[in-house]
Amino acid sequence: MATTKKIALAEDELVSALKNQETVAIKALYDMYSGALLGVISRIVLQHEVAEDLLQETFVKIWNSAGSYEPSKGRLFTWMMNIARNLAIDKLRSKDFKNSNKNQDLENNVDFINAQQEVNFNADTLGIKDLVAGMRPDYQEVLDRIYFKGCTHVEAAEELNIPLGTVKTRVRMAILELRKKFN
Amino acid sequence: MEDVKSYIESGILELYVLGQLTAQENSEVEAMAAQHPEVKAEISAIEVAMESYAMENSVAASAELEAKILAQFRDHTAHSPKVVPLYDQETEIRVKVLRYALVACIALLVVCVATLYSLNNKLNTAHEQIASLSAAKEQFARTTSKLEFERAGMENRIAMTESDEWATVKLAGVKETPDAKMLVYWNKRNKNILINYAAIKLPAPGKAHEYQLWALVDGKPVSLGVFGTDESAKEAVKSMDAIDHAQAFAVTIEPLGGSVNPTMEKMVVMGTI
Repeated sequence: MATTKKIALAEDELVSALKNQETVAIKALYDMYSGALLGVISRIVLQHEVAEDLLQETFVKIWNSAGSYEPSKGRLFTWMMNIARNLAIDKLRSKDFKNSNKNQDLENNVDFINAQQEVNFNADTLGIKDLVAGMRPDYQEVLDRIYFKGCTHVEAAEELNIPLGTVKTRVRMAILELRKKFN
Repeated sequence: MEDVKSYIESGILELYVLGQLTAQENSEVEAMAAQHPEVKAEISAIEVAMESYAMENSVAASAELEAKILAQFRDHTAHSPKVVPLYDQETEIRVKVLRYALVACIALLVVCVATLYSLNNKLNTAHEQIASLSAAKEQFARTTSKLEFERAGMENRIAMTESDEWATVKLAGVKETPDAKMLVYWNKRNKNILINYAAIKLPAPGKAHEYQLWALVDGKPVSLGVFGTDESAKEAVKSMDAIDHAQAFAVTIEPLGGSVNPTMEKMVVMGTI
């Protein structure tokens, strides 16, 4: 390891370094966001090894498609988060992953059922669901599907058998709750 | 204003931040954000909340992952500027080598064609030489066989002269053929007649004619057979028909196969015994 010193850059510096393909950008991104991105990935793909592979893929994709990021359209992290989520969802839905991870899928479902029934929330997956657990269950189940399970909002509406508009409203309400806690 | 508020409250902005919209819907949201600062502010607030939420729920990567990922980018950036020119240079060298090879090939081809041309000329010369040599050889062989023919004739003539058995009759040219002459050998015992090409000098008979030898017996001509020129003869010495007694010999030129009676005006030589 060349350096253990953490690097943090202002977002505009980071973006221009990334667009100029300077490796310092990757170092900074890793120091600043690798944990958050791995957190996003780990909620969708539970196996830590696979999640780390996906994090690596995420950084490669961030690097390779840096040119397509437009700061005017949103924050850098939002863009990176969606890259990470999409890679994780693609992996989750890929045939080989499904075949080799049937047991894990079953576990996921158990977790999911537990959450639905508001049984003592299984927080041993790194404690990440604690925050959502205090949320109203009907908000939580929608956010859960879209944010954790990689469903589209259309799929979430079908699964929960509620109108698309309701899904949208509930996503908004769930995120408003998050905003109350963070903003 | 009401419209914007209900747009914000519809939940579409949250889905936008979560990457749940189609490209067309994304463009619509972006257009709205560009138009209405409160939409843009709302999007930012959602983004910050999601980002904070994600930060709060970070998962620590294993210690070796950072080095693994960063190493990949170091490799990526460290290698690419070097690899590209190296590849180009290699290609350039290969192209250069191929170009030289091409030039060498063309040069070789030219040399080959020139050599081939020169060899072909030599071969033609050699063919001509062989032809002329073979003609010379034929000529030589002809000369040799002619000499052999004449030698055999001369030998026989000497033998005849030395022998007592054979009488030699000299035939001399007539008025029209003063240079013609010939010898006829007549065996005293068995009365055989021989002629010898070595001892014949007669005017050419022409293609459609040949010589005919006659014996004059008691004033009447008796044919002793025909003979050709030395060109057509197989042996230097030719045996003619025998005759018991005769007073003279003569040769006339007759049509091929001979005549029953001599054509007197075509008589070339004559000699008495």
